[in-house]
Amino acid sequence: MVVGVTDLRLLVPVSESVTLRNTVAYAIRHALERTDETEGAATIHFVYPLSERPTLDPKSEETTVADTLLDRVTVWTEEDIEDDAERVTIDTAVIGTEEYLFSPVDYANALVRYARTHDLDVAVFDPEFSPLGTTPLLPPLEAEVRKAGLDVEEAPVQRERRSPPLVRRGTVTQFLALFGVSYLFYLLLAGSLETYDLVTGAISASVVSVALWQVSLTSPVRPVRAGKQLGRLALYLPYLLWEIVKGSLHIAYVVLHPELPIDPKVVEFDAAVWSSLSITTFANSITLIPGTLTVDVSQRRFTVHALTPTTYEDLLEGSLERAVRFVFYGREATEIPTPRERMNDGDENT
Amino acid sequence: MEIQEILILLLTCSGVFFAVVAAIGLVRLPDVYTRTHSASKSETFGAVLTLTAVAITFGGDLSTLKTVLLLVFMFLTNPTAAHAIVRAAADQGIEPWTTEEEES
Repeated sequence: MVVGVTDLRLLVPVSESVTLRNTVAYAIRHALERTDETEGAATIHFVYPLSERPTLDPKSEETTVADTLLDRVTVWTEEDIEDDAERVTIDTAVIGTEEYLFSPVDYANALVRYARTHDLDVAVFDPEFSPLGTTPLLPPLEAEVRKAGLDVEEAPVQRERRSPPLVRRGTVTQFLALFGVSYLFYLLLAGSLETYDLVTGAISASVVSVALWQVSLTSPVRPVRAGKQLGRLALYLPYLLWEIVKGSLHIAYVVLHPELPIDPKVVEFDAAVWSSLSITTFANSITLIPGTLTVDVSQRRFTVHALTPTTYEDLLEGSLERAVRFVFYGREATEIPTPRERMNDGDENT
Repeated sequence: MEIQEILILLLTCSGVFFAVVAAIGLVRLPDVYTRTHSASKSETFGAVLTLTAVAITFGGDLSTLKTVLLLVFMFLTNPTAAHAIVRAAADQGIEPWTTEEEES
C-alpha cells in the first residue's frame, strides 16, 4: 500500500482511564470522517508506554495489564469500525519495554521514536492519560511531543468532573501506612505515652497524612513486599557501613599521603536497577561510599566520579549494585552479571 | 577508666581525625569534584563516629534514639547535598581534573 499525502496516520497513547473508551471512539470516528472526505486510508496505532520495569521477568505485572488493555482497545475498535475495516488499519504496541520511563520527556521521547519508526504524524491524547498515576503528566508531555514536530490533538471527550484531590487516588493502606509512620515518629520524639502526647500525636499524624498521602507514596503499599524489603534493608545497612569504613580509611590514606596518589576518572555505566526508589538508593549509596560520587543519573545511566583506581574497580565489580538489587528484588536478582561484564558484552556486540 | 569511657574517647578521637582529614583533603585536592569527595564523605564518617560517641554517652535513653535518628538523616541528606554540588558543577561544564593534565 502506498502512503499518500492525504492518508491519516494517528498515534494514540493509552493507559487505564475513564475516558479511554471515548477517546478510542473519537479516533475511529475522526479516521472514518477523514477517509470519507479524501478517500484515502487511515492508520491508527494504539500504544501503551510501560512506566517502570519493576521485575526482571519480561512477563511482569505491568506487561500483563498493558496486554489486557490493548486487547480491550482492539475489541472496541472492531465495534466502532463495523464494515469499514479495509479503510482503517489498527495496530497496537507496548513501548518502553527496554527503558525506564520517568519524566514527561522520557515519555515524549519514547512516543516520538515510535511515531518516527511507523511514520505517524498526529498524536491524539486521551485527556485523562496519566501513566504515572498521581503526578500530572499530560500538559508537559503534549508540549514535548509538539516540540518534536508531531501534530498534537486532545480528544474532545466528556471529561469526568474532577473529584476533589483528597479522594481521587490512593488506597486506604497507603493512608494508614503514612498515618502509622507519622504517629510512631511523633511518639518517638515525644518519648512518652501520656494522654496529651497520644492526642496531639494523633492530630498531627492526621494532618500530615490527610495533606500528604497523595504526594508521599506514589505506588500502592504492599505490606508483605514492603516488609521483606525492610528486612533485607536491615541486612544491607551493616554492609554499607562496612564499605564506608573501608572507603574512609582508604581516602584518609590517599589524602595524607605526601604524593597525593589520586587518579580521578569519570565512569559511565547502565545500572541494572529499575524503580525510582532503587535507583535513588543506589545513587545515594554510591555517593555515601568514600571515593565515588554520583554526578548524574539519567534513566538508568549513571555518571560517577571516582577518586582513585581502587574505587572505580570496586564499583565496576558490582558488589554494591548487587546488594541494592538484593534489597529491592530479592535473592534471585543478585545473579545478574556485574557492570564490567555487561560492558564487555556490549563491546563484543558492537 | 571504664570500657565505656575508653570507647567514647576512641570514637571521638577517630571522629576528629576524619574531620581533620576532610579539612586537609579540602585544601590539598585539585578541583571541585575531588574536593567534594573529601568534604562530604570523610566528613560524614567523622560525624558518624562522633555521634556514635554521643549516643553511647547518653547511655541508652531517649536521647540515644534521637542521636541515631540524626545519624539516619545525615545518611540521607549528606550524599544528596554532595550530589547536588557535583551535578551543578557538571551542568556548568567544569571539566574534572585528571592526572594527564598535570603532566602536560
